[in-house]
Amino acid sequence: MLEGILEILIKTVVILGIPLGALPIIIHVERRGAGFIQRRLGPNRVGPFGLLQPLADVAKFMFKEEVHPTHVRPFFYSLAPLVALTVALLPLACIPIMAPLEINGRTIYPEVFRSDMGIFYAFAVSALGSYGILLGGWASNNKFSMLGALRACAQMVSYELSLSTSIVAMIFLYGTNDIHLMVAAQTGYWFGFLPKWGFFIQPLAAMLFLVGIFAESNRLPFDLAEGESEIVAGYHLEYSSMKFAIFFMAEYIHMIALSALFIILFFGGYSILPGLDLIPQSPIITPILQMGSLIFKIAFMIWFFVWVRWTLPRFRYDQLMDIGWQRLLPLGIINLIATVLITYFRNQ
Amino acid sequence: MISDILLTIITMVFALMVVFSKKTVVSALALLMTLLSIAMIYFQLGTLFLAAIQVLVNAGAVAILFVFVMMLINLEQFENNREKGKVKLVISVLAVLVIMGIFALIINNNIEVLTANNIPDNSMKLLFDKLFSVYYLPFEMATVLLLAALVACIVITGHEKAHKVELEESHE
Amino acid sequence: MEFLSFVIFLIIATVLGVVLMLISNFLGQKKKIVRTNDVYESGVNPVGSATRQYDIKFYLTAILFLLFDVEIVFLLPWALAYNNTQNTGFMVAGFVFFMVVLLVGYIFVINSKSLKWEE
Repeated sequence: MLEGILEILIKTVVILGIPLGALPIIIHVERRGAGFIQRRLGPNRVGPFGLLQPLADVAKFMFKEEVHPTHVRPFFYSLAPLVALTVALLPLACIPIMAPLEINGRTIYPEVFRSDMGIFYAFAVSALGSYGILLGGWASNNKFSMLGALRACAQMVSYELSLSTSIVAMIFLYGTNDIHLMVAAQTGYWFGFLPKWGFFIQPLAAMLFLVGIFAESNRLPFDLAEGESEIVAGYHLEYSSMKFAIFFMAEYIHMIALSALFIILFFGGYSILPGLDLIPQSPIITPILQMGSLIFKIAFMIWFFVWVRWTLPRFRYDQLMDIGWQRLLPLGIINLIATVLITYFRNQ
Repeated sequence: MISDILLTIITMVFALMVVFSKKTVVSALALLMTLLSIAMIYFQLGTLFLAAIQVLVNAGAVAILFVFVMMLINLEQFENNREKGKVKLVISVLAVLVIMGIFALIINNNIEVLTANNIPDNSMKLLFDKLFSVYYLPFEMATVLLLAALVACIVITGHEKAHKVELEESHE
Repeated sequence: MEFLSFVIFLIIATVLGVVLMLISNFLGQKKKIVRTNDVYESGVNPVGSATRQYDIKFYLTAILFLLFDVEIVFLLPWALAYNNTQNTGFMVAGFVFFMVVLLVGYIFVINSKSLKWEE
């Protein structure tokens, strides 16, 4: 029993530690990447290549004055960032970073809790993501915040629909909810060179999911929640110091969690990248390669987020809702119907 | 065992908050917490599937609708005249009667109480087998019901003409 | 065991959030002037309350999301069960009916133009 709890604690610390530790790096990449894309330097003064800039930012956030505006609803004002961060962290609990390990005849699962409903769990929990934003906007008792929160919430729920249609299509094709089985189904090659990733059998679902991630995590071109030119900063307008930083962290962790889900569904999860499997496998090397592959894939996704952010301008709100309801949702439904019918008639 | 009792208490506290809270938004948020703790109970009983569905539909969609509406329309102006006195009394008595009726049903019919130990391992498979054979027609009919709800909400909210007529009448 | 893991994870995540939030309470600057705690409305005195009536379309979006979400959640167990059954023809027939009704509802929504944000 005690051993079991110790195991859970270790896993929890690792699972929470990796994304939280990666956050400063991600923020640095984002700012330097912005500089790179816009042909300027970006932060390069603090430390070698500006590498210490994120630490300086964190220190600055910590020493900032905590402002509690007089007109907010105090309890919910403090609760909102907490809800945002906790909800963003929850989906990570069942995302495996490597295949189950066999140690002394015992199977150890790398995720915090093992379930054959892994995808369901992660998807359901990430659907709660709008509450933190909604609470923050409402508790701030400010017209800009309220509008930002409402917009964000309406946007998140609209894009969740097309996202769920692509999840249904993938669950239908894999026939399982179990993340390990899904990854196993995507290991190996077609014709000897094309990885068996879900992306190659369902490119449309992958695109829907990808757009859905951008909208769900409120990233450009879908960051209407904080559209600076119209509503100043949206739902976190009245927040300062660490409370603001927590909203910021929650957004990035939400991004990481959703990217991990995307990779599990469409890019083979922790399955080893093509090329790396030429390295002779052993019980020690394989888990390291798997972890490295997953982290590489997630890192690429994060870079993709940055890339898109500094490439595309923001949509107008009516365009955003039109895309969600009139383009992506019917595409998702038609894709689902086509997937089911083609699978059925091929098996006849 | 401890977690059973704790979860039940948490659920009850939030449920009571829904009823007794003076502020409508707090009521809505307490409803959300009630739904989430019920999902936790499902999870604790070992049916993560039901828990996920509960979170996805009830907490992620139904409760968000409530919270949304409470925050959208300015309810604070009505908050002073929520049901008081006699209405509250009648509703409370009715609620107590319903709860007693449910308990009577459980005791009279010897309904087996679920714990984590007597849920079969393949409960999901059993559920699916029934749902997609014997109960497939009700499953299909659910979508017709949802279609009716959809039409109703469009007609109620989106009817531009009716809305304009109402506005003109109110101006007169 | 799974539930215990989940609860431990939840508690640690929450504690982490609380600790992070309290840091600037202890370390932050304490000097306050009268105007620090005022509402931010671009330097203008706020007019009216923030809880006012917003556009009905937000509400409509939420309720339509609820209805479509329920339909799609119905399909999740369906997709799982399909792969465990022999009776695939029966399952697919039901699925087609389900989707046709869903599409009828969807076309009705789009035709009613209630989701058009641009007037």
